[in-house]
Amino acid sequence: MNKKFETATVRVQRFNPDIDKKPYLQEFEVSTEGDPTLLDALQFIKSRIDGSVTFRRSCRHAICGSCAMNVNGRNILVCHEPLKKHLDGRGRVTIRPLPYLPIIKDLVVDRTSFWRQYLLIKPWLVPPDNIPEKEFRMTPQEVADLQSAEHCIMCGACYSACTVVGMTKEYIGPHALLKEFMRVMDPRDTIPGERLEIVSGSYGVARCHTIFNCIDACPKHLDPTKAIETLRNLATKRQAWEEQRKERQETL
Amino acid sequence: MMANENTITHDVIIVGAGLAGSWAAMTAAQQGVKDIGVLSKLHPLRSHSGAAQGGIAAALNNVRPVPDTGPRGPLEQIPPGDEPIDSWELHMFDTIKGSDWLGDQDAIEIMVQEAINILYAYEHMGCVFSRTPDGRIAQRRFGGHSAPRANYAADWTGHVLLHTIHEQALRHGVKFYSEWYLLDLIVEDNVCRGIVAMNILDGSIHTLRAKAVMFATGGYGRAFKITSNAFANTGDGVAIAYRAGVPLMDMEFVQFHPTGIYRHGILMSEACRGEGGYLTNSEGERFMERYAPEKMELAPRDLVSRSEQTEIDQGRGIGPDKQGIYLDLRHLGREKILSRLPQVREIAIDFTGTDPIDDPVPIQPTAHYSMGGIPTTADGQVIADAEGTPLTGFFAAGEVACVSVHGANRLGSNSLLEASVFGRRAGKAIAQFIQDGANLQPVNGDPAAMNQARIQAHLERNGPELVDDIAQELKETMTSKCGIFRNETNLEEGLARIVELKERLKRAKIMDKGSRFNTDLLAGLETEHLITFSEVVVSGALARTESRGAHSRTDYPERDDEDWLKHTVAHKGEDGPRFSYKDVFIYWDRFPPQKRQY
Repeated sequence: MNKKFETATVRVQRFNPDIDKKPYLQEFEVSTEGDPTLLDALQFIKSRIDGSVTFRRSCRHAICGSCAMNVNGRNILVCHEPLKKHLDGRGRVTIRPLPYLPIIKDLVVDRTSFWRQYLLIKPWLVPPDNIPEKEFRMTPQEVADLQSAEHCIMCGACYSACTVVGMTKEYIGPHALLKEFMRVMDPRDTIPGERLEIVSGSYGVARCHTIFNCIDACPKHLDPTKAIETLRNLATKRQAWEEQRKERQETL
Repeated sequence: MMANENTITHDVIIVGAGLAGSWAAMTAAQQGVKDIGVLSKLHPLRSHSGAAQGGIAAALNNVRPVPDTGPRGPLEQIPPGDEPIDSWELHMFDTIKGSDWLGDQDAIEIMVQEAINILYAYEHMGCVFSRTPDGRIAQRRFGGHSAPRANYAADWTGHVLLHTIHEQALRHGVKFYSEWYLLDLIVEDNVCRGIVAMNILDGSIHTLRAKAVMFATGGYGRAFKITSNAFANTGDGVAIAYRAGVPLMDMEFVQFHPTGIYRHGILMSEACRGEGGYLTNSEGERFMERYAPEKMELAPRDLVSRSEQTEIDQGRGIGPDKQGIYLDLRHLGREKILSRLPQVREIAIDFTGTDPIDDPVPIQPTAHYSMGGIPTTADGQVIADAEGTPLTGFFAAGEVACVSVHGANRLGSNSLLEASVFGRRAGKAIAQFIQDGANLQPVNGDPAAMNQARIQAHLERNGPELVDDIAQELKETMTSKCGIFRNETNLEEGLARIVELKERLKRAKIMDKGSRFNTDLLAGLETEHLITFSEVVVSGALARTESRGAHSRTDYPERDDEDWLKHTVAHKGEDGPRFSYKDVFIYWDRFPPQKRQY
């Protein structure tokens, strides 16, 4: 809806477990002059109207991953989305916290499970013992295969869009599987077999039902589903992949 | 000594989980220090190191200009066996000249020498850099560098480095206190004993005692209206250290990056110019020809920002209020922009509605980097005065520190380098300090309780002004009175206003009175910090009656080596900062001061 609204009605989900029994929506009027972003609107509300409205944010240009929230039912980063773009026919936008995670306060959620899954898949590279004096020689093609996964900012939009995550907290999740994909594809990593085993467990790649919510939500246009599919395929050919890795590492 | 039930102890406490903090933590852990706690007011992966775009400098000699294509021609990989075109010595000279001879040359030498192995260290740890056809790390040109030595990962280099070093710190068992806010530094008798911090989640305040404390808290761009810096960059570390009696050095040197998005200040990497972009004014002229005929758009940042501001001041700016300049990337072509500058393209589209493939992008100078900070040795040891007396147990590295490797102006791609090299060195020095037998030092009184009372007083204020009223005025003051071009009248007015704002803040209202995740309280504390260090910045600018690097006085337009070839050291005094001055380390036989021209 792109009608001309001079003022927007920003509906923010409030919930402070210390004082509220349950979440509720609170409305604020925000001027659209100057074409503010959704984050600008929230900052205005917080600093000028109600300082208790609480949300995470930092870089405000979509690289830090702090400000993922649910706006009109979709998970987005509020810092790089114009307010006007998200107004409905009555000039309203509704901002809620990321789904499926416990609410700490208002739009701030508890990401413990999100980070636990990230740690579980061993996000760090495990290089071979034989370290060259200079850089490992990675081909531009090998870089291209990984590069999009590397751009993940761990914002959680995909995780909180995934219905499987909604049903099963133990599901490793698209963010961690995307990271694992990156490491499995990296010729410098020495433990692809171990990684494939981690993701082949009962809460790993088998749980992805290719619902595609992750792709839809990702602000960086990444493709966790494809990464998960690749991992699934490689997991069935684990030994061959390990052999291939050993061979490749000889010419690194 | 009173033991507070909320007291936490560690061998080492590091505040800040960006590149410098994480390198220090990982390195100390590698050296055998087991008990390390890293505090960050954001989740570590949200640290501002991740916003760096263009590259990290090191003379790897992977790439050179294609022969006979001139200084802005294409680059190619250097065939094996061919002559190198770069060296750490050249990197050193470029950095010294970039610093307008205020950088300490011994520290610069260390940084550029270690640059080479730290780049390989990053790559071995798993960074996915862009590559040359034969698989080596790709490099691009950057402002003020005489050879293409900015090693890059598309245009999200900082993001890649940050994620990698964080992963490695986790791998080494470093414990992170995510979303803990620094409140105070405990220093007594020139010995650092710990810090006081708040767990943002529940508002609980804790004394944290440590044998060694390190600050890696970043810069302070948020004192200005238009800045590339994240909301978090409010100079908490410099302000709190200063308040605790630690001196600050060279605070008047603030870098304005030439290409921030018009009105927003969001960074459009120097890589845009490194890859060949032009700057044009309202007449379509590539005006840099008149200011830096040789280097043009790739002159160092202070020079380019001044040139832009001059064009704007003389009426040749673009945009509805004529405060902008155009950054033109169209001639780079679609393919190059998509592969080398994808992030800045998205930023341009999201925030200006222009696609750099098709249109020039409106930009303007933006407050970007703080050359000044907590003075340290090249091992990250904080010094307590201009003579270099060490402050036992206190370390600092990264943008918060002033070693000084950037002097009066920093070259692009040297900050990611600085944070990595000196973060690593500080980690080693801290490990050495611990292993040499450092002890936990006694803490007098109850710092947590003291800070609790201070916070309570903040929360009880009821205005009528809001904290935001004060913050906005501070930013406006700094921008108009202490920006790119400064003069005595403006600086004096600015200083008077800041002192007034200090008083007004004492009555300003914090609306959220709760203890759970109270970011309104944090905004109040951060605003206090902005005012604290801004007073030092403006006072230092007022005192320094010369122009050097990023500090430009229209009433003192020349560089004055006779009186001013020295670092400004500021201690908190009764009525504002007390200044003393520290010598610059210069290799007089190798790099004596020269005229700075590009």
